[in-house]
Amino acid sequence: MKITHDAQRCCSSGMCESFAPDIFEISDDDGALQVLDATPDESRRGAVELAIASCPTEALSLE
Amino acid sequence: MTTTRETRPYDVADLSSLGFWESTASEREKTFADLRAHRPITWHSPAEGRLMDDPNDQGFWAVVRHADLVEVTRRHDDFISGEGIVFDSVPPELLDAAQGFIAMDPPRHTQVRRLLVSAFTPKQMKRIEDNVVANARRIVDEIAAKGQVDFVREVAMLVPMHNIFDMMGVPEEHRLALAKTSETIGSYRDLPGNDPTEVVRVLTESLIGFQVIASELVNQRRTNPTDDLITSLVQAEVDGEKLSDADIMSFFSLLMVAGNDTTRQSTAHGLQALTDFPEQRAWLMEDIDGRMTSAVEEIVRWATPIMTFRRTAARDCELGGQQITAGDKVILFYASANWDTEVFEHPGRLDLARTPNKHISFGGGGIHHCLGNQLARRQLAATFKELLTRLPDIRSTGEQVYGAGNFFHTVASMPATFTPEAVR
Repeated sequence: MKITHDAQRCCSSGMCESFAPDIFEISDDDGALQVLDATPDESRRGAVELAIASCPTEALSLE
Repeated sequence: MTTTRETRPYDVADLSSLGFWESTASEREKTFADLRAHRPITWHSPAEGRLMDDPNDQGFWAVVRHADLVEVTRRHDDFISGEGIVFDSVPPELLDAAQGFIAMDPPRHTQVRRLLVSAFTPKQMKRIEDNVVANARRIVDEIAAKGQVDFVREVAMLVPMHNIFDMMGVPEEHRLALAKTSETIGSYRDLPGNDPTEVVRVLTESLIGFQVIASELVNQRRTNPTDDLITSLVQAEVDGEKLSDADIMSFFSLLMVAGNDTTRQSTAHGLQALTDFPEQRAWLMEDIDGRMTSAVEEIVRWATPIMTFRRTAARDCELGGQQITAGDKVILFYASANWDTEVFEHPGRLDLARTPNKHISFGGGGIHHCLGNQLARRQLAATFKELLTRLPDIRSTGEQVYGAGNFFHTVASMPATFTPEAVR
């Protein structure tokens, strides 16, 4: 499982962080999304899929 | 066959008159239901203005279905915001002052929004949770012994006012004046009198009052930076350049209006809904902590605090089978989408357990998605928890007065009664 983040589409809504704060984080410094763990453990798949589905700009995807 | 803006016939449904917006949400829903069922994308005569009629305004497309609203929201290259986001024709100086980055398009929208986003992240919301709860408590403390209040003035207006101004860094002594200004800007259609010159005069006076206070605060933060949003604005840089004073004032005003005038309406409509549906309220009270999350979502759907946003077609394109011409105004009708039976079962029933609840009150998903959505949710949860546990029989008396605007779904006043809390 590998998470791809399209920084051009991302509007930093923070929806992904609300579902998986251990994987996604909006930076306090510049408001940009940081994917803390782009290849999370399979056990986190549920949360990751919710986070991706919640993105208002479809900036996240799974490979 | 393609028609031009000049020759395109207007739909028979009235969404444009002052009278349509002066009627009630349930009256308006009859028109929306008909459009959703039979003619989902329609062309209409220009909105009847309170301030000015723009001779170049030839009309607008109405988007009333949930799926179409979501589509327009996500096609932000076809349907842009930079030409304006409100339905009415408004004098440009007023528009510039109030629209802020909400009326921008990428790439600048993305850059500017990121300046503020870190104040509204889930992490940040957790940090301020205690403060949001304390504000709710303080407001209920003030009214608890009274037994009757104007719920709008004494609760619904104060909750978001304290929370957004805590975040922005607006001191107590300026809060009521700025919240009042915010209301005047957001709901100028409700100002008394029919003379547009008089309305513009009141609005201008309000804006000047706002600018005096706001520029004083901005100057203070330049000298004495703190960790609030006004400081973020004065320190922010986009492409190595500081924001202009005009931009700072415009973003200040956007945070103020978007922060104050939205959750105010949701709080007031929420109390009305809980009054009108006692069995739903009883259901919530059986497990208020466990059920508040879904209840808040339904209250936000029910309230639909913002009823319309505008986009403008950037190029010729198609939408729902209609040929849209570059430059056409496209108006999104949020209350209609929130009542779409394709998405919501029995939308006319308040269902605090509704799951999933795909309401679009915070936007249809897209780059302009409500920045403050998590703040709004936390405020509503904290306020109703405090109100319903301490004043369990609080109810609207049914004498509420709704506004006549086409932007915010305003409640101007709402008398409410309750058994006073025992003096502690």
